[in-house]
Amino acid sequence: MLKSVVRAVGAAVRVSSLTATTARSLPSSSAKLCAPSSATARPFTRSLWMLNSSGASDRPKLFSSKVFNPSVSCGCGGLHTEGDKAFGEFLVDEIKEERKILKNKSLPKMSGGWELEMNGTEAKLIRNVSGEKITITFNVNNSIPPNFEEEAEQGEQKSADEEPEMVSTPNFVVEVTKQAAKHSLVFDCHFPEDEMSHGEGEEESDIFAIREVSFQPEGDSEWKETSYTLNTDSLDWALYDHLMDFLADRGVDNTFADELMELSTAIEHQEYIKFLEDLQGFVKCN
Amino acid sequence: MGVVLRNLQKVVPLRRARLRKDVDTLRHILGIQKFDLGVICVDNDRIQQINNTYRKKNVPTDVLSFPFYEDIRPGKLPCPHHRDELNLGDIFLGVEFVMKQCQEESLDLHGALTVVTAHGICHLLGYRHETEEDWTEMLQKENYILSEFNRLTGRHLEPLMKRCSQDR
Repeated sequence: MLKSVVRAVGAAVRVSSLTATTARSLPSSSAKLCAPSSATARPFTRSLWMLNSSGASDRPKLFSSKVFNPSVSCGCGGLHTEGDKAFGEFLVDEIKEERKILKNKSLPKMSGGWELEMNGTEAKLIRNVSGEKITITFNVNNSIPPNFEEEAEQGEQKSADEEPEMVSTPNFVVEVTKQAAKHSLVFDCHFPEDEMSHGEGEEESDIFAIREVSFQPEGDSEWKETSYTLNTDSLDWALYDHLMDFLADRGVDNTFADELMELSTAIEHQEYIKFLEDLQGFVKCN
Repeated sequence: MGVVLRNLQKVVPLRRARLRKDVDTLRHILGIQKFDLGVICVDNDRIQQINNTYRKKNVPTDVLSFPFYEDIRPGKLPCPHHRDELNLGDIFLGVEFVMKQCQEESLDLHGALTVVTAHGICHLLGYRHETEEDWTEMLQKENYILSEFNRLTGRHLEPLMKRCSQDR
């Protein structure tokens, strides 16, 4: 059912810290400096661990170096270094900045009577129309496309205060369930990236597009790969237009897609601040 | 390929399948099925921006045509040598502008969009309305297209140029 959500999470694993940190480097120039170090930290740590676990007891022990002794101690049993302290201070500033640009404390409302359910970074919008249940599922993780070109261009011409806003454009899954039907009709939708660039080129895409359509067992959280999946890449366009009209009749149109971007952007920002606060607490060891 | 339909606006709720069907009927009437054609639906802001960029007219309008072939004689279909040249160009439909006109004149939106699209296709095929002579020639073509359209669909559409000025 949540194929695009799963795909998004899969992509998040592949590009993990690098994409996430780079995407977040926009609001604060100091955050940019942290990106390379976080991206290179993992393989280095792992190679040290492998050296240590090789079991050569008569070799000089790398881990006995004073460098790894905690420079600050609070009795919690955790490691505290000068780096942690600087990290904590950085996070205080970062959280303050992010809270400043947080537009509203409450999430924007979707028009059309959609009810919002949250489960971590995954959101569900649910609506019942004349016996049909329409469910939209999306995950804000990895939903901000990196736009390096625009970033570089903007950086040359504008000051830090005028940096472009980050917009969350998650893949989303529309599930239409009819009463007494065993299967739901499921649409795997996305925001084509060239629309995000707001260019004047000829190859402009719709605000949102359907990628795949299939029937899935109702209420199942797993995507059943054995169900026939209609891929829209090689589809009769008339059929595609009927599918788009079918969604529009159920409240999933360009207005909806636009509001979804706003909602997802707000949720993503809230989750980011929450993450920074958790990170601050973890580093400080409260 | 066929008709590439894009809806880049959220002001007007469009029926994509109907718009495509009507454009396909127009293509059939004109015998241009083998040519690709872009139909891009935009709001007032966007069409005003395009109108200003390409025609130095900073106002919204109903249709702007961008022909692939710029120097063809009206009524003569292009003779492309390569597959890439089987393309007539793009039509930007100012659907918000058209909707407002329809509201003022109590007209059906999709009927009006068909009329506007027929006008746009005529431009892609080399028709102009800069002189009286050109205008007459284009009006005749639009009359023919829409009478055929009406015959095939049972509708009662009229050419755009009977009502509008030459500002397109």
